Amino acid sequence: MTEPPDPATGTGPEPVPPPAAAPPARRGWLRSLGRAVPYLPAAAPAAIVVAVAITLLLASGFHNFGWDFFGLKFNSDQGVWGVGVLIVGSFLTAVPALVLSMLLGLGIAIASTTYLPRALARVLDPTVDLLAGIPSVVYGIWAFVAVAPWFGRVLNPWLASHLAFVPGFAANSISPSSEGVGLPIAIFVLTLMALPITTLLIRDALRSVPRDLWESGLALGATRWEVVRRVALRHGRRGVWSAAFLGFGRAIGETVAVAMVIGAVDKLPSNAYDSTWTMAAFMFQELDAAFGSSRYLELLAELGLVLLAITFAVNLIGRRLVAHLYAEEVAGL
Amino acid sequence: MSAALDGGPVLQVRGLTVRAERRTLLDRIDLDFPARSLTAVIGASGCGKTTFVRTLNRMVELTPGLTVSGSIRYHGQDIYDRGVDPVLVRRRIGMVFQRPTVFPMSVFENAAFGLRVAHEPEAEIDRSVTDALARAGLWDEVKDELDRPALALSGGQQQRLCIARALAVHPSVLLLDEPTSALDPIATQRVETTMRHLKEELVLILVTHNVGQAARVSDRVAFLSAGRLIEQGPTAEMLERPRDPLTQQFVSGRFA
Repeated sequence: MTEPPDPATGTGPEPVPPPAAAPPARRGWLRSLGRAVPYLPAAAPAAIVVAVAITLLLASGFHNFGWDFFGLKFNSDQGVWGVGVLIVGSFLTAVPALVLSMLLGLGIAIASTTYLPRALARVLDPTVDLLAGIPSVVYGIWAFVAVAPWFGRVLNPWLASHLAFVPGFAANSISPSSEGVGLPIAIFVLTLMALPITTLLIRDALRSVPRDLWESGLALGATRWEVVRRVALRHGRRGVWSAAFLGFGRAIGETVAVAMVIGAVDKLPSNAYDSTWTMAAFMFQELDAAFGSSRYLELLAELGLVLLAITFAVNLIGRRLVAHLYAEEVAGL
Repeated sequence: MSAALDGGPVLQVRGLTVRAERRTLLDRIDLDFPARSLTAVIGASGCGKTTFVRTLNRMVELTPGLTVSGSIRYHGQDIYDRGVDPVLVRRRIGMVFQRPTVFPMSVFENAAFGLRVAHEPEAEIDRSVTDALARAGLWDEVKDELDRPALALSGGQQQRLCIARALAVHPSVLLLDEPTSALDPIATQRVETTMRHLKEELVLILVTHNVGQAARVSDRVAFLSAGRLIEQGPTAEMLERPRDPLTQQFVSGRFA
């Protein structure tokens, strides 16, 4: 770097004229900071994720629990805290709920984009947004007081008699005292709560299929159903996968509504109708109990970290998959 | 299999009228399409030529609010008769669109699409796909990359793949709605060559606003203006000695 001449005195080491458009020299770090300002808002989300992860990690005291933390033995009275039970419970509710809400979402989105007359679709489409606007606690109390008893009296026995050949579904395994609370009603509530996001994303994916692509399929003698199945869903499959990953994030993170119907017991379910617990519901419901026990609070913080890691990993896998699908589509990688 | 049985026209259009709510898009069109011929339907933008070809395979029904009257007979059978399945009409009367509309799947699967939805046996699919790609003038360029995604092909290749895809189901009529409007001159030339070969075996109906293209590839020309058929006849006659002043203006490039 050559030293620029001082414009005030005109006494440089050598009077070399600066390049015509060169701005006056400022201190380097200040200038870099100035240039970085427009980028800062874009970095904010990443900074928040990192900050949440680090502070949760500090609050959790990871070393105190070690690998037993992920075990399936759980007894808070004896101080045995293996949260594997909660992780299993979260997946046992979120995965079936995701599958059901994807199937329902596909059905709704295909019906509205393909079969419904446009005027009717215009009326029905916004109702999905209404579903998304219902607070989760409303879903929870509704499920508990209005739906769970029916599950206990009618649906669970029906499933038990018709799915007896599936392990865990046999008739003798329903506990009559459960009031319908347990896995099926939790899955039901989560299905409804993931439904708006899966439906909206699948619908957008199908809407983005160009009109002449639809017509090309029909012009080849395909039925509407064949065009949906072979062309539209394929064209929109990145959107469909995004729906699955975002829907899963919704289902595994949902707290209040699940807490109200899952039964909240710290054990693995012994059958398909049993009560259990999820990570999210546990953190919420045990917060009171954890006051006064720093060790218990550390456990909850660590559990939060695990849930964060799971959602983060699912998100990352989802992004990679969607990017891969795109590359495959255009280049055949 | 697809030639006219009695030497009469393959497609016979009589009194074809298409109305939207308040406007008449096509007004009492009478037109015949003989076997093994290429008819160019020319006219300015908005004259109804795209609507016209879309009536010929009942694609027009996909646009809500249009009513079609008159008759379109395919080998004597009115394709708008109750009891005629539009899906079957479209297997006999294929269509290629303005922009290439390849599906997001391999070259082979694109060409096989119509056969798969018709539940053709696998051996028949292989044979028809190869044959269709050859007839569309694409086989030599893609024979080693049938498994590649069709979207990786050039625009001109994609459009010929769309032609091959339509040919694979053995239609006897092929509708081409400005098939070269999105292509560069060299790709356009290739598609025109393909059209000249295909008219030896099929009825081709080409919508174009390009009089030069009509002169290069067509046997007959029909000129539409404001939804009416102004004039039709053999290409040379229509382009060199048009009788109607509107046609004269259009073919000489002085159309308002």
